[in-house]
Amino acid sequence: MANTPSPDVSPPVDEKRASFEREALVHLDVLYRVALRLSGNPSDADDLVQETMLKAYRAWDQYEKGTNAKAWLLTILRHAFINEYRRRTRHPETVDLDKIEPYAVFPEVQDEDPQGAFFDRIVDDEVLRAIDQLPVAFRETLVLSDVEGMSYQEIAGILDIPVGTVKSRLFRARQLLQGKLYDYAVEMGYIKGSPA
Amino acid sequence: MNCRECVEHLYEFLDRELTPELEREIREHLEDCPPCGEQYDFEELFLKFLRARCRTQGAPAELKKRVLRELFGE
Repeated sequence: MANTPSPDVSPPVDEKRASFEREALVHLDVLYRVALRLSGNPSDADDLVQETMLKAYRAWDQYEKGTNAKAWLLTILRHAFINEYRRRTRHPETVDLDKIEPYAVFPEVQDEDPQGAFFDRIVDDEVLRAIDQLPVAFRETLVLSDVEGMSYQEIAGILDIPVGTVKSRLFRARQLLQGKLYDYAVEMGYIKGSPA
Repeated sequence: MNCRECVEHLYEFLDRELTPELEREIREHLEDCPPCGEQYDFEELFLKFLRARCRTQGAPAELKKRVLRELFGE
């Protein structure tokens, strides 16, 4: 008997690891993409994801298995970002979101390129660069929705804001991003237009 | 449903975040109004473009190894 491993000790650890791998580690790509857009560089994104996974594993017992691990992990990641990273920035954002005027690109291109063919000529890096220029409140909402496909309700939970705020931020973030990409396309000669 | 209301709700419609009733009203308006239909196509294309451009990147293999090492000592 003394040599038999106690079934009361080892199985829960394996079980914890197995369920963590199954439900949490599968979201590593999502966490990395969001971390990269929030922090702005690969090295901080690595650290942020690492920290998120450690915190998540420690708190794994508090997560109700089979619910929404992706949203749970993203909430941890965002808190870690706010606590550890945003504080470090020497120039905290002072943008007044309400003063940013929404700008509709469609009316500008309606005659020349209503099907938005100019978008196809814009490469990945340029799109990511334009996203990184958005105010962080717009950027995080847009990335969670448009890159990672989260619902308004999920985003509201992760960012701890009302659904109506998600809606309005998303609306303005998309218009702002379209405006930036449109300006770039005009500059590059992909479309004639007039800079937004 | 007029054009202004339709454009105002276009993103929510694309995101499938509207009540079934409002969704039906928008769909009917889009079928009857070519300019709004064109804007719908444009916005839909923009969202698809965004998703395609931004999802090519995943976590680096080294990060995955680092996480496993830290969590499970591997």
